[in-house]
Amino acid sequence: MAYYVNRNIKMTWWERIYIPEIIKGMIITSRHFFQNLFGFIPFFLGTQKERKIMTVYYPEEQVQYPVAYRGRPVLAQNEDGHPACVACGLCEIACPAYCIHIEPGENSGKQNQYERWPDVFNIDYAICIFCGNCEEACPEEAIFMSDDCEISMLDRKKMLYTKEQLLTPVADLQKRIEFTRNMYAKWNY
Amino acid sequence: MWVDLAITLVKILFIIGVTVGFFAPILTWVERKQSAIMQDRIGANRADILGFTAIGLFHCIADALKMFTKEDFIPQGANKILHTLSPIIAVVPAILTFAVVPFGGQYTLFDKEVNLVISDLDVGLLFVFAIASLATYGYVIAGWSSNNNWSLLGSMRTASQMISYEVTMGLTIVGVLMVYGSMKLTTIGAIQEDFFRWGLFLQPLGFFMFLAASIAENKRIPFDNPEAESEIVAGYFTEYSGLKFGMFFMSEFIEMVTIGAIMTILFFGAWHIPFLTTATLLSWFDFLGTTGSNLIVMLIQVGVFFAKVVFFIWVQMTIRWTLPRFRYDQIMKLGWKILLPLSLANILVTGIVILVLN
Repeated sequence: MAYYVNRNIKMTWWERIYIPEIIKGMIITSRHFFQNLFGFIPFFLGTQKERKIMTVYYPEEQVQYPVAYRGRPVLAQNEDGHPACVACGLCEIACPAYCIHIEPGENSGKQNQYERWPDVFNIDYAICIFCGNCEEACPEEAIFMSDDCEISMLDRKKMLYTKEQLLTPVADLQKRIEFTRNMYAKWNY
Repeated sequence: MWVDLAITLVKILFIIGVTVGFFAPILTWVERKQSAIMQDRIGANRADILGFTAIGLFHCIADALKMFTKEDFIPQGANKILHTLSPIIAVVPAILTFAVVPFGGQYTLFDKEVNLVISDLDVGLLFVFAIASLATYGYVIAGWSSNNNWSLLGSMRTASQMISYEVTMGLTIVGVLMVYGSMKLTTIGAIQEDFFRWGLFLQPLGFFMFLAASIAENKRIPFDNPEAESEIVAGYFTEYSGLKFGMFFMSEFIEMVTIGAIMTILFFGAWHIPFLTTATLLSWFDFLGTTGSNLIVMLIQVGVFFAKVVFFIWVQMTIRWTLPRFRYDQIMKLGWKILLPLSLANILVTGIVILVLN
């Protein structure tokens, strides 16, 4: 349905003489000015922890990102230090930007807890588009989007992260794991 | 004679120091910081010396350094002489206006009458307007000489806007002249010792019209069509860089101080504190002797004057960060169809009231 904007607003005489309305607007802005000006003083003196201003001094202060935030994808590492990944290659297929490269490793029939694991697992963050498809495709809960977004580099080659750099303990990813379980359960895969 | 010369020199140095040395750089910081605080932001705070930021004050120094070290660019096809000359023509009138602006009264220091104004002209008010309108040439030449369509558009707009609003400004001043009966700024200031004879009460309409017209003269935001970042890049100074751009920038801020000073002199009681005459102040400090008491009163009144100037700068900044900008036809309509008839009516009413009261 189209929304029509009424541009022929009839102003009253009081509004048309302009000055009272300007003063009204200036009262609003200067109220903010004085509130913030004197709100600063206790903050600088250290008696008050909270600022009234919403802006964050970014590198010094950081906000907690919401769980749904998609930062750089990382590999989950089990408690015993082994990657949870089984090198099935689903994420490699799901990836629309082809930034994941996996070379699987296998044990040769020995009785071991782990049958398969990635020998090589590279993600090139210079190509990655942070879509989260790899996380959605993963059947083993092995790859997750972390809340880390500070991955800018001066050298493009350093953006290629290897398995050792990607591995993150499961304990650090617990919130995101819970979130993905809820999220993807809803869609009934 | 040498003493007079020395006193004048000190006054000139003081004025240049205060406007160019203090207000111009500080106001760049104030502009950023005040806009930030009004909009619930933090504002400039990154420039630091050894990790010490001083709430962003070092941005003034950083700005100045940046201006000095930037390339001084003259575009192809530009008129080099005029292109270099126009920032100077723009910035000099802004400083020169202060020659007749009194920043304090008359004091007896060491058996010598000191009048705190560089040049006490009988036609001070006319001098202010004559010099202020000279700045138009700077802007017009800047746009014309830089061989750029945006610049030319900007300078055309500047010319039309400044001429239209100068009419209103001059006619508004006529009301003030009729009320005070003098063009001498020191006399106008001295009359306002009585709180109820401040220009604000005698010429309330004139006050608002003068404020509007002077902001339009300064080309700040409700009337920023000559610069208009969203339409014509940066108007008349599109092709300027480095220190030349800095001079245009500086002239805007110095003009803000000038406007504040003239508003203070004409409408806001000059250097006087409400309900406190100079004689009362002098009698309070009588125990210090003539020179001592005069010195203290001088310091107080100069302080009061600059406090009022700072207040008007604050008002101008608040207006700049509160109001949306006008369209070009709206500016012309406001100037010619509303402010001009109003200022004429103001003169008429003032004349009738003076006639009736006498």
